[in-house]
Amino acid sequence: MAVSCRRLANNRTYLASLAAHDICRLTRALQMSQQSGILQQGATEERGENARMASFVGAVAVADLVKSTLGPKGMDKILQSMGRGQEVTITNDGATILKSIYVDNPAAKVLVDISKVQDDEVGDGTTSVVVFAGELLREAELLVNQKVHPMTIIAGYREACDCARSVLESIAFNHQSDPALFRKDLLNIAKTTLSSKILTVDKEHFANLAVDAILRLKGNGSLEAIHVIKKTGGTLQESFLDEGFILDKKIGVGQPKRIEDARILVANTPMDTDKIKIYGARVRVDSMAKVADIEAAEKEKMREKVRKIIDHGINCFINRQLIYNLPEEMFADAGVMAIEHADFDGIERLALVLGGEIVSTFENPETVKLGSCKLIEEIMIGEDRLIHFSGVALGEACTIVLRGASSHILDEAERSLHDALCVLKETVADARVVYGGGWPEIRMAKAVEELASRTPGKKAMAMEAFARALRTLPATICDNAGLDSAEIVANLKAAHGADAESRMGVDVVRGEAGDMAELGIYESFRVRQQVLLSGTEASEIILRVDDIIKCAPRKRG
Amino acid sequence: MPPKQKNELYKESARKKDVRTSNIEAAKAVADAVRTSLGPRGMDKMVASPNGEVIITNDGATILQKMTVTQPAAKMLVELSKSQDVVAGDGTTSVVVICGALLKKCQELLEKGVHPTIISDAFSKASAKACEVLESIAIPVNMEDREALIRAANTSLSSKVVSQYSSLLSPMAVDAVLKVMDPARPAMLDLRDIKVVSKVGGTIDDSEMVDGMVFDQKAAKSAGGPTRMEDAKIALIQFQISPPKTDIENNVIVSDYNQMDRVYKEERNYILSVVKKIKASGCNVLLIQKSILRDAVTDLALHYLAKAKIMVVRDIERDEIELISKTLGCLPIAHVDNMKPEKLGSAKLVEEVEVGKGRVVKITGIENKGRTATVLLRGSNKMVLEEADRSLHDALCVIRCLVNKRFLIAGGSSPEVQVSMQLAHWSKTLQGMESFCVRAFAEALEVVPYTLSENAGLNPINIVTELRRLHAAGEKYAGINVKKGTITNMLEENVVQPLLITTSAITLATECVRMILKIDDIVPTR
Repeated sequence: MAVSCRRLANNRTYLASLAAHDICRLTRALQMSQQSGILQQGATEERGENARMASFVGAVAVADLVKSTLGPKGMDKILQSMGRGQEVTITNDGATILKSIYVDNPAAKVLVDISKVQDDEVGDGTTSVVVFAGELLREAELLVNQKVHPMTIIAGYREACDCARSVLESIAFNHQSDPALFRKDLLNIAKTTLSSKILTVDKEHFANLAVDAILRLKGNGSLEAIHVIKKTGGTLQESFLDEGFILDKKIGVGQPKRIEDARILVANTPMDTDKIKIYGARVRVDSMAKVADIEAAEKEKMREKVRKIIDHGINCFINRQLIYNLPEEMFADAGVMAIEHADFDGIERLALVLGGEIVSTFENPETVKLGSCKLIEEIMIGEDRLIHFSGVALGEACTIVLRGASSHILDEAERSLHDALCVLKETVADARVVYGGGWPEIRMAKAVEELASRTPGKKAMAMEAFARALRTLPATICDNAGLDSAEIVANLKAAHGADAESRMGVDVVRGEAGDMAELGIYESFRVRQQVLLSGTEASEIILRVDDIIKCAPRKRG
Repeated sequence: MPPKQKNELYKESARKKDVRTSNIEAAKAVADAVRTSLGPRGMDKMVASPNGEVIITNDGATILQKMTVTQPAAKMLVELSKSQDVVAGDGTTSVVVICGALLKKCQELLEKGVHPTIISDAFSKASAKACEVLESIAIPVNMEDREALIRAANTSLSSKVVSQYSSLLSPMAVDAVLKVMDPARPAMLDLRDIKVVSKVGGTIDDSEMVDGMVFDQKAAKSAGGPTRMEDAKIALIQFQISPPKTDIENNVIVSDYNQMDRVYKEERNYILSVVKKIKASGCNVLLIQKSILRDAVTDLALHYLAKAKIMVVRDIERDEIELISKTLGCLPIAHVDNMKPEKLGSAKLVEEVEVGKGRVVKITGIENKGRTATVLLRGSNKMVLEEADRSLHDALCVIRCLVNKRFLIAGGSSPEVQVSMQLAHWSKTLQGMESFCVRAFAEALEVVPYTLSENAGLNPINIVTELRRLHAAGEKYAGINVKKGTITNMLEENVVQPLLITTSAITLATECVRMILKIDDIVPTR
């Protein structure tokens, strides 16, 4: 290795420091560009080899940072906020880690970005993509040192990527036509995703939860309808899926606590006072009695409003804003359940789930679409009372209630569950499935190596490098589990060489090569494909760089 | 790969070990801080907050909450005791002590080169097995069996400063919970339906459970209003008895002296008309909600209300409205025009009584009383009172645990010893690392009897080995009798506790340990 990248624990930027001779070279280049006087004072420029070096170092450092979280035996990180409050997050999710660290290296930022894109696109594989890109760059660096031109490397990577992609497509399988088998696939995928997270012990439970929730959606791709509520207390095992909708709010005083066949009006309207919102508007009167009259008129206005709302023929009224005492009492008198202060997110989801629309004027009761559900009642979870809507109009909707020992665990559980849900959603849309545990990588590496042996010229070297980079993914999984990665990867290679249809992959639990189909380690095709493509693309972009110009920082104060 | 790579990998893992060790050390330090407060002979802690306030407590959750820790792993332990508080309400110290002991064992295992994830998996299996063992030695309890419930509350109170009053507080806690429990829907039990009013003055002996309701607020009598009302008709109002105020800004324009007089008069008339309407509804006790927008009640209004022989309690918080309306069977009234007799609650007697230095308003003999309960706590000083409040809360939680999961187990660390023994036995049937880790888990649980006897000034090694011997001989309920300083059968000594407390302590502590184990890096972020 030309560059030994040591991370400094107390380094705020958390990026690698360079080996001594690299720094010398960098400073020399820096001085040159500053002497030329073209750039503004304070701006810096790094050229040619130095620029490439800086990007390699940055990207590899970022990849190494998240590397240890990969796989079922990957470790977690504490993210300690340096801002006020010193909040602490504990996570295993690559995207969450990368999103929150300080990065001051352009190449490193590219990797952070692809991890974000991966999160948005497919929701999982956020660590894999960064590790893969990092490995491609590490290999590329070796080639560059052997005087292979970056463009040649890129060309080789591209061809290798195309080859790998077609292999991946050919080895994927699809069970969508058979619902029972498809459900099993989904369960396996969910379990594989969850196995690297905090939920790993209860993965059976949560995989079922996630699959049930996704199958309820019936292919409708909106995760909006799945509501996740976190309540401290209990254990993760006590988390459950509820077929209705749960709102973490209170019912007003003196109102019915249980309504069957509810007709619900979801609104966003001020229920404290309807006042003239013109600044400086005021009334002038000459006696106290008139002030009292105005007050009475205001109250009357509110009454009128409440009457109009009740005239919709509803028995439940949910408002985003406060409901003051007076309207609350009126609703209580009319036997209408009134729920105040449903937050914005909650109200939109409520409207969606209950099949109503959010209303803010009440003049035309006949045109308003009311929401409905079979039963509204109060339930108790932990120490809190919540409102439970069952038999909602949107049958797809459901709520997952997460329980756990602390808020850290709950937050991480929510992130993990979200990842699983995203992956499942993608799989429902594109039902192709591949085995996990490094199986596709080994297969792809094999095909790429075969391609390299047929390819003339220096490109072949890049292809071989690509194959090596692919194999580091299963190797990293082994390393994290404290296993002998070289031995296992070699075994896998041999198994796949002997049998073209081999299903061997890394079996982390037993610490050897194992049959992925029997172990039920499945992954979504989309995730794997996305890892391959974005990883290659990112490394390509970084390889192309030969000049980094940093603008002079803006003067402050 | 060249050998250099290998070198680098080694350094990397050395750093990771450092992070893990420092996390474990920090968490252990926190556990050690609360260790001495465990058990009936446990010591209290004095916590001085930055603003000079002093708290004396024996409650693990409170100590940890007031202790401002910054280390991330230490914070997790604070969270842990908080969630034990939410789940079970008691055992907040035990959970932290168990967690500390488990972490200590982890450190030993890690030094021997066991991979953290293997420890984590084994621990989770061990905790599941521990719960099974606990369930097997649990004794079902009937909600009608008041004595058994009182015994459980006694155990919880025995470690607190108020332990000598447990004969008073335990029945109180049991009665309060039974009163608010809806037999048809026991799962809906909400401890917030129990109102605890604490007043400085007197001793804890003077605490009582009030059959009715107590308000911390005094009756307003600046205008000489009544402070005692028999056959009370109580109205809970959310409107204000003060000069009118509109939402829109208003000016009253006064052009000469005569008009000023008129404005005064009008104000009087306005308030008088409001008071008359109140009187007309038959109400003679008025509870007024606090208002931020304007005076809830003015001196003038108080004067008229006093004239009309209406007793007034003001400054009722909005959060309390629900509880009050539930207890008194009245409905809140938000406008004076809605003052209707059917919305009023009625009670035999509403009276302001002197309690220690202060005064409270007591409502007794309520008709159609809802499922709520009120406890009036007394104490010689603020610190004792606060601690009594916390202890009572713990006792209430213990009873609630029993409502949710109707099983009792013996106290005095006998379940821990039993579980430890069973697990050690079970570990022999397992293979490899797993067996090793389960064994360590079993040993870690012995920290509870060890600490308990240490805090009681007994010889911990003697006690623990003796306990092991007895349990191995089949005495499932042998535990430490702290008062006598010996080992006795806990069931005969009536030292019992809810099953839920011990199971949740073990599962929560294990979950927390597993989380700490999995961390290999602390990354500073924005």
